[in-house]
Amino acid sequence: MEPFLRVESLLHRYPGMSGPAVDGLSFGIAPGEIYGLLGPNGAGKSTTISILCTLLQATAGTVRIGGLDPLRQATQVRRLIGLVPQEIALYPQLSARENLLYFGRLHGLHGRRLLQRAESCLALVGLLEAADRRVADYSGGMARRANLAAGIVHEPQLLFLDEPTVGIDAQSRRMILENLLQLNREGMTMLYTTHYMEEAQLLCNRVAIMDRGRVVVEGAPTGLLEQHADCGTLEELFLQLTGRQLRD
Amino acid sequence: MRALWASFCKDLLLLWRDRAGLALLFVMPMALVLVVSLVQNNVLESTGQKAFKVLFVDQDRGEAGRQLRRRLEQNGGMVLVSSLGGRPLTAPEARELVAAGVFQFAILLPGGLESDLQQAVEKIGQQILAGAEAAPEAPAKVEVCFDPTVQGVFRTAVLASLRHALLGIETQRRGRELATAMAGQSGRAVNPFAGSPLLQVAESPAGQALLHPNAVQQNVPAWSLFGMFFIVVPLGGALLRERQQGTLQRLLCLPVSGWPLLSGKLLAYASICLVQFGLMLLVGRFFLPLLGTPVLQIGAHPGVVLLLSFVSALAATGYGLLVGVLARSYEQASMLGAISVVIAAAIGGVMVPVYVMPSGMQRLSQLSPLGWGLEGFLKLFVRGGDLASVWPQVAAMLAFFSVTLALSLLIFNGRHKKGG
Repeated sequence: MEPFLRVESLLHRYPGMSGPAVDGLSFGIAPGEIYGLLGPNGAGKSTTISILCTLLQATAGTVRIGGLDPLRQATQVRRLIGLVPQEIALYPQLSARENLLYFGRLHGLHGRRLLQRAESCLALVGLLEAADRRVADYSGGMARRANLAAGIVHEPQLLFLDEPTVGIDAQSRRMILENLLQLNREGMTMLYTTHYMEEAQLLCNRVAIMDRGRVVVEGAPTGLLEQHADCGTLEELFLQLTGRQLRD
Repeated sequence: MRALWASFCKDLLLLWRDRAGLALLFVMPMALVLVVSLVQNNVLESTGQKAFKVLFVDQDRGEAGRQLRRRLEQNGGMVLVSSLGGRPLTAPEARELVAAGVFQFAILLPGGLESDLQQAVEKIGQQILAGAEAAPEAPAKVEVCFDPTVQGVFRTAVLASLRHALLGIETQRRGRELATAMAGQSGRAVNPFAGSPLLQVAESPAGQALLHPNAVQQNVPAWSLFGMFFIVVPLGGALLRERQQGTLQRLLCLPVSGWPLLSGKLLAYASICLVQFGLMLLVGRFFLPLLGTPVLQIGAHPGVVLLLSFVSALAATGYGLLVGVLARSYEQASMLGAISVVIAAAIGGVMVPVYVMPSGMQRLSQLSPLGWGLEGFLKLFVRGGDLASVWPQVAAMLAFFSVTLALSLLIFNGRHKKGG
């Protein structure tokens, strides 16, 4: 099957840095797949997502999303994608509903359709009752859920999730993961980065473990564990491949 | 268009909810206009640009005192106060009031002034008739008691005014005595002061002046511009927060060009600037006069005033954008924004009029957008200017906006596309 997202020999070098942040990265994501990008701090996950989201211009390499070039056809690509950034990328002084309506409008939604999408996204993440409270007054878990809702308000075909469950309670995390699985069942393709290996194991059809800008190993979580029989969990495999030294 | 409108509404809503920021934008310039206009109005009084109150104690109650009072009042620079609380002032009371700083000057006429003066001129007349040189007499003294904190120029102006009035009285008395003496010799009465004055001063403003500049005409546009340019602090901060909170990242992933988003934001902040400016004009027009200042006059071209306000608002928001792009932290944005606006205000003539600055600073003031704006508003408010006369200022403001916008986009694109 033709991958929905195809990355070939991707290279990115930040000005003033000695080594590349992304160093010849190649992978593909099939339609309807949840693909996990795992790696320690500084592995190049966020840089890769920034390039794929058209935010950053790669130094070299090829990217195709739905057959489109994000560099030359950025606007068309942006219609296909959604982003759930690592930060709570919402206006804290606006309510969750106001945030969703704003981002929905900018995605071209309007009228009844916009209201329906905002309502259904708020319902999906369990924020209907708190929809009119300011995001600044939300708990960490509520803000993370609102962050997810803003990323899917326009029903993207490909959703980029950059550590969407950092620093939240177990209930909120569980809800977010269930939501993602539901969205995936409805056909949404996802690229997921996380430091929580059990999340990746639960959610992803395939994962790539990255280190120093390169893919160290790639495959389905169960398949990878079969290949590395000495590792009982994805976390053990991750530590074996990337080392136990701290990455600050 | 939808994206622009969405962005415009969102930023207005954010500003509306940022009560502290709004207070800074609206209360600060209004407070500055009120305080500075009232203070300067008082300074104008105390530097003789407006009639001020002087104690006048006539212990003689003769013709000379009445003449002096009339002449001083005709000059228009002083309001003479001879009684307080319905009771005539005495010389010791006047001295005490001046020493306490309640009044800055007291003019004290000694008892016997009229008779001394009369005796002196009669003696001069007799000497002239006798063909002798008028012998110097010990002059009758009018005492001026002044507050030692009063500025030198002010003191000089009061003394000059008093000397001028006294000289007039003395000349009149000498002339009258001379005329009387000559009439005695020739048998014909002559009045040397009959007819109109031989020399006169004609005061005329250079160019077309609607009115004399005053504290309100200077301060309302000056501090309004200052307040408008203070938009750089909340605007720079908002841009920085969008960067730090990741909302910018989300915005940049949207299938809309950055122009409607940016235009919506700039228009929202520019609208706030215009509301700010309108409120300041209302303060100058209706509120300040209640506190005793002159009424603000905005000239005969309100449309041009609106145009100049709008381009000033654009210049302010353009600069705010640049500050927001340049700064790496909220502290940097607020410091850089606030300090640079204060400096631009100082060199632009907001705090002290440009014409009293040293020549080097006057040249420097030509670089200040606040100076351009102020110059434009003063042309409209004071000099009876129109669109043709403020066109250079309008063009300069638009050029400033274009340059700051272009620089901001250049820096922003350079940083974000390369990941700097």
